[in-house]
Amino acid sequence: MTAVLTPVAAPAVLRRDGVRWAWGLGTLVVLGWSLAGAGLFSGAVVNGAGTRQFGRFAAAALSPATDGAFLGVLASSVLITVAYAALGAALAVGLGAVGAVAVARTTWGRRRLGWALARGALAVPRGLHEAVWGLLLVNLLGLDPWVGVLAIGVPYGAVTAKVFADLLDEVPRGPYDALRATGAGPVPAALYGLLPAASGGLLSYSFYRLECAVRSAVVLGLIGAGGLGYQLSLSFSSLRWPEVWSCVYALSVLCVLAVVAGRAVRRRVADPRPAGDRLRRDPLLTTAVLTTLAAVAWSWWYLAVSPATLVSDRTGDQLRYVLAAAWPPDVDGPLLSAVASAAVDTVQMSVIAIAVATVGAVLLAGVAAHPVRPTVARRLTGAVVRAALLVLRAVPPPVWALVLLFVLLPGILPGALALGVYTLGVLGRLAAEATEELDPRPRAALTALGAGPVAGWLYGALPAATGPVLAYALYRWEVAIRDTVLVGLLGAGGLGALLASRLAVFDWGAVTTVLVALIVLTTAVDLVSARARAALR
Amino acid sequence: MDAGERVAVVGASGAGKSILLAVANGSVPATAGTVEVLGADPGALSGRALRQLRARVGTVHQHLELVGQLRVVHNVNAGRLAAWPAWRAAWSLLRPQWLPEVLAALTELELADRVWERTDRLSGGQRQRVAVARVLVQRPELVLADEPASALDPVLADRTMTLLAGTGSTLVASLHDPALALRHCTRVVGLAAGRVVLDSPAAGLSLADLSAFYGAPR
Repeated sequence: MTAVLTPVAAPAVLRRDGVRWAWGLGTLVVLGWSLAGAGLFSGAVVNGAGTRQFGRFAAAALSPATDGAFLGVLASSVLITVAYAALGAALAVGLGAVGAVAVARTTWGRRRLGWALARGALAVPRGLHEAVWGLLLVNLLGLDPWVGVLAIGVPYGAVTAKVFADLLDEVPRGPYDALRATGAGPVPAALYGLLPAASGGLLSYSFYRLECAVRSAVVLGLIGAGGLGYQLSLSFSSLRWPEVWSCVYALSVLCVLAVVAGRAVRRRVADPRPAGDRLRRDPLLTTAVLTTLAAVAWSWWYLAVSPATLVSDRTGDQLRYVLAAAWPPDVDGPLLSAVASAAVDTVQMSVIAIAVATVGAVLLAGVAAHPVRPTVARRLTGAVVRAALLVLRAVPPPVWALVLLFVLLPGILPGALALGVYTLGVLGRLAAEATEELDPRPRAALTALGAGPVAGWLYGALPAATGPVLAYALYRWEVAIRDTVLVGLLGAGGLGALLASRLAVFDWGAVTTVLVALIVLTTAVDLVSARARAALR
Repeated sequence: MDAGERVAVVGASGAGKSILLAVANGSVPATAGTVEVLGADPGALSGRALRQLRARVGTVHQHLELVGQLRVVHNVNAGRLAAWPAWRAAWSLLRPQWLPEVLAALTELELADRVWERTDRLSGGQRQRVAVARVLVQRPELVLADEPASALDPVLADRTMTLLAGTGSTLVASLHDPALALRHCTRVVGLAAGRVVLDSPAAGLSLADLSAFYGAPR
C-alpha cells in the first residue's frame, strides 16, 4: 500500500515543445521581415490626402445605384459571369474525369514511376492562377470567349483530376475484383463496381468546383473577360461609387446563392433520402444536375463559343510562334535578380496577408459564430459581422487593393492588406465554424465557477480552437500565395507585376522564367505549409 | 443543509443526482420551487453578483469538462479564474501563476509529476484528480462533486474524499459507492425518480440500507 503512496517529485521547470516553439519563433521572424519589407518601419505608408475620397466611397455603401439603365447592365454582367462559371466548371469536370483515369493509382498499378510523373504533370496547370492562364490565353486566342472558359477549365481540371483520382482510389476494390472475376470487362466492372461507391463524392466535388468557378469568373472579368468583374473595374476607374457598391452587392448575392445551392447538394449527397417503394430519383439532386446541364447549354449559346477558334490556322500559328519564342527561358543576370526580388515581395505580401487574416479571424470568430444562448443584441451583432465577412470574401482582392490605395501609398503593403482583408472574409467564416463545433461544456464549467467572459474565452475556447484555426490559416496561405500573383498582375508588385510587364512587351523567354519561378514558389509554400501543419498535430 | 455539513446524495442512475447539483451551481434554472445557495438565488442574480456567487461554489463535474488542449497546471489554475483579473489569467498561460499552490494540490493527489502534461494525454483517473485539484485551488465555500472518485482506486478515492471534505467547506457529493458515503459524510440524502426519499444522518445508516438505492429504480 505504502508503495502506491510514495510521492513523486514534480519536474521543476516547464518544458516547452521544441519543434512547435521553433515553428512559432520562425513565424515571428518571417513576419517581422515581411513587415520591414513592406516599409512599415521606414517612412510613411499612409496617404493622408486620400481619406476624403475614401469617405465618399464608404458613404456610397448606403446608396447603391438603382436606376433602371444600370440595373439592366448589371443583370447582363451577372449572366456573363454565370455563363463563364458554368462552362468553365463543366470543362473542368470533363477534363477532370479523363485526367482522373490518367493519374489514378488504379490505372498505373505497380508502375510507380509512371504514376508519379503523371501526378507531377498536374502541378504545372495547377500552380498557375486562373488569371495567369487568362493572360496567356489572350495572347494565343485574342479576345475570344474561349479565353475565359479555358482559363477556368484548365487549372480547375487539373485539381479536379487529382481529387477525382483520390476518390476513385479510396473506393474498396473488392466489388470491382469480384466483377472482373466473373468475366466482366474493365469498363463495365468499373461502372458497376467502382463508380457507384464514388459517385456521391464526385457529384459533391463537381458542385463545389462550380461554386469556386463563380468567384474565378469574376476575377477573370477584372482582367477583361467581361461580366461582373469587368463592370466593377469599369465603375471603379470612372469613380462612380454608387455603381461600385451595386456591383459589390450583386457579387455578394451571387456568392451566397452559389454557396447555398452547392451546400444543399452536398448535404443531400452526404445524407440521402430513403428509397420509396418504387424507383425514384432524388428530386433535389435531379433538379440540380438538369439545371446545371441546361445552364451549360445556355452558356454555350449566350457566350457564342465556337470550336472553330480553337482549331483555326491563326491559333495554330500563334501557338507555334509563342512556343518557339518561349523556349529556352531567359536566364540573364538582371532578369534573374528581378525575379528573385519579386519572389521576395510575393512571399512577404502573402505572409502579411495571412497574419492580418488570422489575427482578425481569431478575434471575430466568437462574435461570428452562432451563439449557444442567443440574446437579441448578440444575434444582431452576429448577423452584421457575418454579412461583413461575406462582403469581404465576395469582392476580389484586386478591388480591395484599389480601395486601400485611397489611404495607403503604393507599394506591397496595399496589396498585402487587400489580400489580408479578402482572406479574413474566408478565414473568419472557417474560424466561426470551428468555434461552433467546439465542445461548449468545458467553457460552461468555467462560467459555473465564476470566470468572466474574457477568462472563459482564454481558458475554455482559445486552446481548443487554436489547432484547427492555425491549420486553416496555413492552408489559406497556400491559396494566398497564388492570389498574390493576381493582385500583382493588377499592379501591386511581386511576381504578378513582373509577369504582366513581360507579357506586355511579348518577352516570351522572360515569361517562361517567371512562370517557372511561380511554380517553384507555390510548390515550396505547399511543402512548408504541409510541414508546419504536421508539427501542429 | 447547514454550513460545514458533508452530504452524500445517493440514488440509482437517472434518479436526479446530477441535475440536483447542476441546479445548485446555477448551470440549470429551476423549473419550480425556490433555490437558495449560500443565501442567494442564482436564478435572480446576473452579471457580477452572479459571478461572485459562483466563485464561492466549486464543482467537480461528472464528465469533468476539462480543457484537453491545456496543460494540467492551467486546468488547475482555471479554479482561480473568478478571483483573477483577465490580464492575470492571460499572463498565467505564458508564465504559470500560483505554482506552489497548484503543486501542493497535485502532490496531495499524487499527480505533481504530470503538472506540465497536456491534459488530454492523461488517463481517466488522472483527469479526475485534475478536476478535484481545480476545486482545491478555487477554495470555495460549497463543493458540489458529481462522482468525484468513480475512476479512482480505493486508496485514492478515500484520499480525494478526505481532501474535498477537509477544505472546511460544505460538501455535497453524489456517490456510487455506499461505503465511501458512510465513511466521509455526515448526512445521506436518497433520491428516486427526482424526489427525496431518504434524508438521515449517516451515523444511523448501514451499508445494507444504502444498497437498496442502487440498481434499477423501482
